[in-house]
Parts: sequence; C-alpha cells; structure tokens
Amino acid sequence: MRIVIVGGGIVAVYLANNLKKQNAALDVTILSDEKHPPYDRIHLCSLVDNTQEIDEISLPLDPTIRLELNQKINKIDKESKRVFSDNSMFSYDKLIIATGSMPISLFDISHIKNATVFRSADDCDLIKIGVQGREVVIVGSGPIGLELLETLNEMPNVVHITLLLRGNHLYAKELSMDSIKTIEECYTKEGKIRISYEDEIVDKTIENSEIISLQTKKFQIKNPFLIFGVGIKPNIEEFRESLACANGILTNRFMQTEDEDIYAVGECAEVKELGFVAGHVKECTTQANCAISHILQTDVKEFELEVSIDMLKVGEFDLVEVNSPKFSSDYEKVLITSKEDKRIDEYFVNDDKLTRFIGINSNVDVGYIESLINDGDALDINYLYQNRLIGERGRLICSCEHVYHQDLVDIVTQTGIGSFGELASFSEAGRVCGRCKTMVQDVIRDSQHLIDPNMPRKSPQDIKKEREMAEVTKRIDKFNALHPRNNLTTDNLESALASLEIGKHEVNSWISMVTADMKLHPNFEKLVEKGVKTLNKVPIVWLELSDCSGNSEAFIKSANPAIEDLIFDYISLDYHELLMSASGDMSETILEDIIKNQKGEYILIVEGAVPLAMDGKYLRIGPKGETGIELLKKCAKDAVLVIAVGSCAFDGGVVAAAPNPTGAVGVGDALNRKDVINIPGCPTNPINIVGTLLSYIMFEELPPLDKLNRPLWAYEGRIHDNCERRGHYELGEFVKEWGDAGAKKGYCLFEMGCKGPYANANCPTMKFNGGTSWPVQAGHGCMGCVEQNFFDKFANERKYVEEEK
Amino acid sequence: MSTKKIVIDPITRIEGHLRAEVEVDENGVVQEAYVSGQLFRGIEIILKGRDPRDAGLLAGRICGVCTNSHFRAAVSSVEDAYSLKLPNNAEIIRDLMAMALFIQDHVVHFYHLHSFDFVDVTSALQADAKLASKEAHKYHRKPFRNSHAHYEEVLQKVGNFVKAGKLGPFSNGYWGHVEYKLTPEQNLILISHYLEALKFQTNISKAVAIFGGKTPHPQSIIVGGVTSVADMLNPQRLNDYLFIMKEAKEFVERAYLPDAKLQSIAYRDDIKAGIGRANGNFLSVGGYEFEAKQRLFCNGVIYAHDFEHIEEFDESKISEEIDRAWYSGETRENEVCYTDLNEDGSLKTAKNDDKYSWIKAPRYDGKTMETGPLATVLVSYSKGNNLIKSFVDEFLAETDLELIDLSTTVGRNSARAIESGYICEYIFKLVSRLIQNIKYYDTDTWVRYDFEKLQKNANGKAFLEVPRGVLSHFVNIKDAKIENYSVIAPTTWNATPKNFDGLRGAYEEALVGIKIQDTSKPLEVLRVLHSFDPCLACAVHVIDADANELSSYKIKTLFEG
Repeated sequence: MRIVIVGGGIVAVYLANNLKKQNAALDVTILSDEKHPPYDRIHLCSLVDNTQEIDEISLPLDPTIRLELNQKINKIDKESKRVFSDNSMFSYDKLIIATGSMPISLFDISHIKNATVFRSADDCDLIKIGVQGREVVIVGSGPIGLELLETLNEMPNVVHITLLLRGNHLYAKELSMDSIKTIEECYTKEGKIRISYEDEIVDKTIENSEIISLQTKKFQIKNPFLIFGVGIKPNIEEFRESLACANGILTNRFMQTEDEDIYAVGECAEVKELGFVAGHVKECTTQANCAISHILQTDVKEFELEVSIDMLKVGEFDLVEVNSPKFSSDYEKVLITSKEDKRIDEYFVNDDKLTRFIGINSNVDVGYIESLINDGDALDINYLYQNRLIGERGRLICSCEHVYHQDLVDIVTQTGIGSFGELASFSEAGRVCGRCKTMVQDVIRDSQHLIDPNMPRKSPQDIKKEREMAEVTKRIDKFNALHPRNNLTTDNLESALASLEIGKHEVNSWISMVTADMKLHPNFEKLVEKGVKTLNKVPIVWLELSDCSGNSEAFIKSANPAIEDLIFDYISLDYHELLMSASGDMSETILEDIIKNQKGEYILIVEGAVPLAMDGKYLRIGPKGETGIELLKKCAKDAVLVIAVGSCAFDGGVVAAAPNPTGAVGVGDALNRKDVINIPGCPTNPINIVGTLLSYIMFEELPPLDKLNRPLWAYEGRIHDNCERRGHYELGEFVKEWGDAGAKKGYCLFEMGCKGPYANANCPTMKFNGGTSWPVQAGHGCMGCVEQNFFDKFANERKYVEEEK
Repeated sequence: MSTKKIVIDPITRIEGHLRAEVEVDENGVVQEAYVSGQLFRGIEIILKGRDPRDAGLLAGRICGVCTNSHFRAAVSSVEDAYSLKLPNNAEIIRDLMAMALFIQDHVVHFYHLHSFDFVDVTSALQADAKLASKEAHKYHRKPFRNSHAHYEEVLQKVGNFVKAGKLGPFSNGYWGHVEYKLTPEQNLILISHYLEALKFQTNISKAVAIFGGKTPHPQSIIVGGVTSVADMLNPQRLNDYLFIMKEAKEFVERAYLPDAKLQSIAYRDDIKAGIGRANGNFLSVGGYEFEAKQRLFCNGVIYAHDFEHIEEFDESKISEEIDRAWYSGETRENEVCYTDLNEDGSLKTAKNDDKYSWIKAPRYDGKTMETGPLATVLVSYSKGNNLIKSFVDEFLAETDLELIDLSTTVGRNSARAIESGYICEYIFKLVSRLIQNIKYYDTDTWVRYDFEKLQKNANGKAFLEVPRGVLSHFVNIKDAKIENYSVIAPTTWNATPKNFDGLRGAYEEALVGIKIQDTSKPLEVLRVLHSFDPCLACAVHVIDADANELSSYKIKTLFEG
C-alpha cells in the first residue's frame, strides 16, 4: 500500500514512523514544503539563540521512508488518486494530510523585512539577524510567544522588548492576577522587557519594505522588529476546493475525510462530530493513532476528546496546565498560593468537578490531578492542600508520557543509562512532543552520580526478567530449604533445570498452562514437570462418599494432560472405585494394603459429603458394611494429605442443603481437622485438583489457602472481576430476560441472577472441558458453587439479596 | 442342599454404592440374589419447599454421570406443571446435549466400566501386534488406529506399567480367570481402544459443554428454554459440535461397534446359554423428535420376550412399593425406616419381609421391568421402526445371532453399541433442523411467562429416555413452592428390591442361575451387573407416603393397597 503524507512537521513524522513500525512493507512518502528535513518546532528558540543547529533538532525518521522536500502540494485528483506540486506528481492508495497550521499576522508582512511570525526555521533566521539593534515588539502571549520572549530576554544583543497585549492577561485570560503578576515579574525584573496591556498597533510607517515606526495606543516605537505571536489557523487553503472544510478539513472520528482514501490529522483537521481542532501535540498523535488503526484496520480506535497537559518552563518559573474538554467559562476557582515560594495552584471547578488546573511553580502531583479530572471524583481540597509542598514522584517532567522526575532518576539508577539516546529503550519521555527533552537530559545528567559504578549495564529485558527472577529467587530459597541437596541458585537454575528430564510435547503445553496459572515464572515449568513425575510415586486413594460421582466424571475428563497420561504416567491412582478393575474383597485388599503399608505416604482425595445422622448409616461401604465416616477416618488417619474435592466434600454441598436429612457435613468437619484442603465446585474443575497436587508435591507444604482452606492460586480471584462479560456490566448492558437481544450479544447476566460477584474461583480463566465453555459463557451465569451453603443461598436464577429467606 | 453367601461390596466401575449378595449352591450356581443400594441422600426431601424454578439445578445433582438427564427431567416436569410449550430450538439444544451424553456414556461404559470383565490385561501382553492388526480387520474393513506400530506402542505402555509393578487402577483384577475367553490379540485391540476411549470421552464431553457451559452438571437449562442462545447463534460453535460428533461417529463405527461384534462372537456360548437374561419385561418411553413427527425411539412395553405383542406405554400403570426398602409409608413424618445390616455386615434377607436396600420398588402393572438401551432397541425394533431396523439386522447378521440373544449380558452391550451407532447417524439431522430454524430467523430459545402470574398449585411430570433407560420426575407444586417431588430412575427399575410379591428385579433375576467358577473371584456376577450400567446415585429415591397427590400418577404404596 502506498501512503502519502502531506506535511513536514512532527505529526507527519509520527504518522510515517508508526505506520512503518506496524507494517514494514508499507510504502510511505512524506511531502514537505520546507527545505529542511522535518525538525521539532518546539525547539525553535534554540535556533534563535544559536544554542542548537537545525540538524540538532531534526526529528528521527525511519530510513525506509521516502522524504520529498520543497513540495508544496496544491492539487488533489481524488479520481485518479494523485497529488500534485508545481513540479511533481505523486500517486497514493491512502493520502494523509498533516499540514498543521499557519501563524496569523495582523497585516500582510510577506514583503516586509523586519516583521515575521514564529513558526519555521526560516523565521528563526530572520529573527536572529533582525532583532539586532532594533526594539523588538512581540504581539501576543501564547506559550510559544512566552518562550521566545524568554529566549530574547537572555540574548545580550537584544536591548529592549515590548510585549503588546490586547487584553490584560498573560498566557490565558482565566489566570488569576497573582499568577499574571508572578509571570510578569519573571520577565520584567531585569528591565529589558516592558509589557503593555490593553494595547495594540494602531498605525505604522513603512518605507522600502521596512517598518520605520509603529504607533500603538500607548507608545510610538521606532526601528522595530515585529514578531506576531497572536495565534494560528489550520493550514488548509490548498484543500478547500477538493475537500469539505469548516475551520479545518472535516473528518470523522477515524480522521477520515469525506473521501474514504484521504485522512487529515492534527491541527489542519476538524473532527466534525466534536467540532474539534487539535492544538496539543498529544492530541495530534492520538489522532494519528486513530488514523493508522483505521487505515491498517487493526485494533481500530475512534478519536475521543481527552484531558490535555501543557507545560511551560521559562527561566525562573514553570507552568503546568491540565485541561479537560468539560471546562467551561462558568467555572468557580480555588486558589492555593504562596507569595514566598511564588507558587500558585489554580483549580477550576464546574458543577463540583475539577475541570482545569493551572499551576505556577506547582508541586502537586499532576497525575493525580489528571485522574481526578478523568474520573470526575469530587474535589478533595484537603488532599490537595496536604500535597501542595511536594509530590511523591517529584515534578512532572514529560507531560505526554506522564514521567516524573523520580521516575527518570529510578530508570537511571536501575539501568545505568548515561544519555537521552539510551533512555529510548526504557521510556518515551522527551520523545513525544519533545518539549521536555532538555529537562529530561538535565535529569539524566544530574543523576549520573547516583549510579552504582559496579552495577552491570542492563537491557530492558534484563530489567523485566530481573523483577520476575526476584520472585523466583524467593521460591528457590524455599525449595532449597526443603531440598538441601538440590542447591539451586539463580546462577545454575538454567542448567539445573536443563538437566531435569524433559517430557513429551503434549505434556509441555499443559505444564506451561499450569505454571502460568500457579503464577510461577516460566523457568519453573520444568520443575513443575518434575513435580508431575514425582506425583507418580505417590499413591492416591480416591474415596467416594455421599456423592454423585460428578467430580470423578470431571476428573476423567481432564483434557490436559489427557486422562490416559494422567492416570498411567503421572499419578498413581491406586484406589478409585469408578475406574479400578478390582471389586469387593479384592478392592478392599488394595485399600487395606495402602493404609497399612504406606503410612504417611499416600494422598487421600475425598469426594462427597459425610452423612453423620443415624450413626452414619445412611452410607455403608465394603463387605463389612463400614459406615462412610468410619471408612473416612480409617483412610484419613495416616494419609499425608487429605483433599476434599467438590462442594459436598467441602461443606456437605447439596446433600447438606436444608433440611439436611442425613446430617451431612464436609470432610474437614467430619474429621474435625483444620488441615484438609478444600477444592470446592459442583463439580470442581479437574485442573484445580491436579494443580493443587502439584503444588503440594513441589513445595512440600500446603499451598497458600484462604480462610476456608481453598488454595489461593485457584480461588483467589472474584469471578465477576475476571469475567468476559465484565465490560458489559460496566456499560450497563444487561440481559433482561432469557433469550433476549442482550442474551444473543452476550451481555452481562447480573440481572438474571448471576452470582459471579459473590464467588471466588478461576472459572473465567480456566473454563471447563478443555477450555470449551463455562456457565457464564453458556448464558446462564454463575451459581456460586464454590461458596459455602450455595444451594441454600445462590443456586437459583434470581438476583441475590442478603436476607432472601 | 447347602448354600453359600457371597458378598460383593463395593461393586466398582459403576456410579455409586452398590452391594450384591448371592447365594450359591455347591456347584457355584446362583440360587438367589439380593442387590442393595447403600447410600441415601434424600434429594427429594431437600427439594421440598423450594421455588419450582430451582428444581433443575438441585435435582441435576442427583447424578454426576447421568449429568444432564436429571437436570432436564426436573425442568421439564416443572414446565409440564405450568403447561409451558418450549420453542423448538430449546428442545433441539436439549436433545443435542442429551444425545452427545448417550454416546459418551455408552463408550465409557463399554470400555472403562465394563471391558475388564471380558478383557484380560495381562493376556494382552502376549499378543503379536501384526496379528492383532489382522484380527481387527475381521470386524471392520477400516479398523480404528490399527497399525502395527500403534499396537507395539500400546504393548510397551502397558508392559512398562506392569513391569514397574504399578498397576494403578488395574491392580487386583481377576486376571487369569478361566472365564476370560479372548485371544491375546483380541485383548490387545480392546486395551488399545480402552486408551483411545479415554481421549474420546474427554473430547465428546466438549460437545455437551458447547451448549451446556460445562459437563458434568451443565448449567444452561431453565424453566421455559435454554440459556446458551449466543452459542447457538455462533456458527463456529455449531461447527465445533458437528466436528466433534463427526469424530465420535468415526470412533463408534470403527472401534465401538466392531468391538461389540468381537465380544459377541467370542462370548457366543454365553449368549446362547442365555447368561444374564432377566424376565423379559421391557419398558421404553421413546422420544427425540429429529424431524417433524419423526422420533428416534418408540414407546412401548414388552412382556416375557413376546416381541409380537407390544403394548403402548401407559403411565397410569406405574406403582411403587417399599416393603423391602428402608422406608415406611405409615406416616409422612417417618419416611425413612432403616433396619440396619446384620452383625457381620451382611444384608438382612432371612425373612421375606426384611428390608435390604435404599432403592424403592417400582412396578409396571404389578411387574418388574427392565429398562435401558436393550429395552429401547427391542421396543423400537419390534414396533417396526425402520430406521433402527437396519442397524439391528446388520449387527445380528454379522454376528449370526437372533433378536432374543440380545437379552443377555453380552447382548445388552450389543444393544448399547447399536443404539450408539444409530444415534450417531441421526444426530446430524437434528443439527440440520436447528440450522434450518436459524436460517429462517427463528432464534427463540425461551418461552416468555410471568412466574408471578402462573398458577400457584400445579402438578407436573416428565418421562425421558436417557442413556440408562426410562427416567421419570414428578413434581407437585403448592403455593408456588415444591410440595412433593419424586423420581424413578432407570436403575430404580433395574435394581429394584423384591417386594411382598417376591418378584425379582432385572438385576436379581439375571443373576439367578449363573454359575460362579471361583467364589473368591465372582467375575460372573460383575459381568451381569455391569451389563446394566448401574447408576446408584440415580436409583435411590425416597418415596412419598402421600403420593396420590402427584398429579394423576398413582404411585401406590403397599399400605394403600
């Protein structure tokens, strides 16, 4: 696909680089009307004061992108999909217009030598030379104007500057007088700058294309150099004929114009539905992402208005602004100021909600402010007051990436990076709009002394792995404590694991799954496998008491590993009435043999409740007619571990539901033991049985359990929190009756009595029958079968209310 | 004549807690038999007083093997009480889940629960892989996984297992028993399929889970329909179901049916000797409408193997008796009446009114009945169901048997295999019907009703043909709550205790007369019992002493005469 981008600014470069990043096969061309390769306008001031050359502020561009300079596009042929400049023609499949904006001048200055706007490298050249020996007059006080003012103020060959302002404010008209005074003081204290409010040019004298004098309302200025900083407008004159335009080129939320193959992004575009024209770099890059997603049809995103963050750092003060689209002029304002620190925090409030923040020399955590605005939470003045002095992460450095001072210091000290270039692997800070690049560089430079000289350099992967390994190391220590002869360390872990026997392919995938599910590092996979093989040597007795065999049935449907591998290769299922060949006396012999000769070695798994009424005689097993409780006690006495599988073994389940006719209880209660592991579920997911066995074999202790003795690894997450339909819940999209339109779309089942919010288990992630489905996917909802007394509490299709009965 | 009592408990490879006691003469021939359910849970008591809409989720827990059968039957009985007419799609989805369960259950039964009664694992180790491959060709032209290499692999797998001394679930079988009649190669083929069938049942359970959310204990049936509408409308889910069933059909045709033939031919003498034959009374309620007005199975009743005269099934002829079960009908409050075991742990059977089982005694027209795939196949065949006829005729021709021969231990397995092959053929028609409905924009899966406006008092019933036979649920609703609940499951019919009439149920009748070669290894008893595919959790149900309230159902107790 041939993609042609018209424009030579930051947005054009961002588009081109990111298109290439997503699909290297794309043919991307940038057509710029400038003579310089794309550069970062944010740093134009450094060209004015000669601190940087043009190539130092150039924007990095993927080398496979075709760049055509001096190509001012003046015609689009939508039919044949071509664009034309004065001397060339370019064909496209998709065209993106990113021509940005053009500065406004109050009168035509195209032929005047000592007047300019401030937008391009050429303007900088003009200013650089033109200001010498002249009185500089800047009209307007937008962010860029203020930065230029600061730059010129520092330049020794600039003698006097007049800032002409039509209104009586600096930066923004909503600023308080205190703020304006604070900013003003910074500029005027050296005496080089005078600020003239409520003033404007009323007359001018021009000779030989040069302004000889300017007459303002208040002053007459001779031999001026005039710079307009009064604003910008979309740079779209060439496209007005061929595309529908209002303020900007009209687009939908995918930034697509009326022609489906033409997009417009950034300051030249107007999102029709929102009547919105971008002004911040962040907004432009967000639009670029939407356009890219739509062109490539991957993960398609619509443009949404979002909270913007602006920063301005000029000499002695810095200014940060957080602005929400909900801001409107009928605001109320809360001010927290300190004359001493020259600190002013201005909070703008609409309808009790914070909608805008402007801070001068502020310390407040901008991230917090942003989330406050985004979430629409009530304004907590107390908090803001308490945190006015210093935020935890220090000053915000990069407003685009939300990177704070301390974040950068942490990266430096953890990774030992020494330059802005090296930072790229860890953070995009300073690279999005580029405004904070020098600040980022300063922080990197200033924190170099904090780096431990002995620390080896690390890659981002190293860092990530290191964090995971820290967790693994903790576990290895545990393992070594239990298996002193293994002596695993992080150094020999790889080789130690490699020396373990590697199993069959089919098993491996299952092991990965279990490893992940048990929240272990992937390096542990082989250890898990070793655990599986050890399991084969541990005899397992599976007793069925007052049950329906549902858990046995589920167990033999264990999909991974296949049940045949499980019972023949991995576990030694020596007594299981559903599967075993032997019957009657012969089966009793097996049981007696294990109980007598393998004391303290066998694991007892119990399925079913234990009826205690009528002396336990509601269940009798074996030729002697032992009661269920007698048999259970006999088998549990010397078992190394007792596991209760299914809800009946957990707390009596359905058998103990009111009125509990047989006096049934769970295994733990029947044995009066606190160390019985419960794996409830009706039936339980077989993976939870196998995983728990493994956990025990590997770590030789009970896995972490909750207060009902359920292994946390399987029963920690609330079903509602991990539910695939959670998004619909958040959006208020509910099934209202069985089989309705919502049911067909898979909406949330809460209104139909789903008990997911009250139940804790891994059903949403593990699902059943080899990941085929689970009750929520089947449109019914959860009935809380892993919880206590669920048949009396949850097993219905009505919304749960605490005191239902 | 001296008799000796043999107690077999637990009977393994079944669902639940079953005990058998047989009295044999000096030649080892069984003179009398008692089978007993040894667990009572009282699910019906628990159901009382609950919202009728909750019956399904709770009654489903009657059994985790016949897992969706009770779930569906309970919901259907409540729907019957309220006269709710289900959308066709809901019926089909319920049927698709049920039919997948039929196949799953039958395969698990044949291989995992029953095959070790006929297959000697240790003998298989002597087999020659090449000969085994050749042998398998006798029963199908394209046998399932029949390469030499595959059989070698199975030999190695089982060999390692035995050599390591870790037999696991194979420990202590009656290996080497004289009644094992298969050649080493035949044993190897069946063990190979035993292992394949483990995978098979895992796979086919996914078919149930596609529409049920999970299995065992699916969770997608509600009063008025089914919930899995999104799965139904998802073409990929339908496709998955079809492909799983297609694979299942392969296995049934190329492994299960041929193995059933192999078994019939190898154990021909037992069949011809009528071993395991009960009294010849069969009961089937039929069902499964796969095309408009065309049902997979017919209803009907056969008495004493008289295949010429089939009676229509008449539900009013069902009664239930309890005089030898551990219940008492004298007062409603005192339903359970446990009279315990003897001191030595054996059943009390000395007097002919001694109670000895938790299973109650259902009767049809006063007779004990056999139900299950054998009954289903015999009734449908004898009523002239042409669809099933070709399946039965082909099987009988290839094994050189007659219809009566199916009414034996080995024959029950054949009937189950025939039923599986038959279902596998017609299940696709049912899916087509569903697709047809969706194609013409019929996507209803639930019939709307306002529970508050439904009648407060109502009686309902459901009769379903399920993998083990006829299942019936009865519900009695009063003030919008369940007043009474009653279940008669297939195993209740087959494993019924005796009664004042002294009539033996199918289990007991089939046991009487068989000869046990070695009373310490009563393999023959296991064979007979396993051939019925016992499901004890299903079988045990409390009887309601005031049962006349159950709709028009006359569930009589002894005390009501």
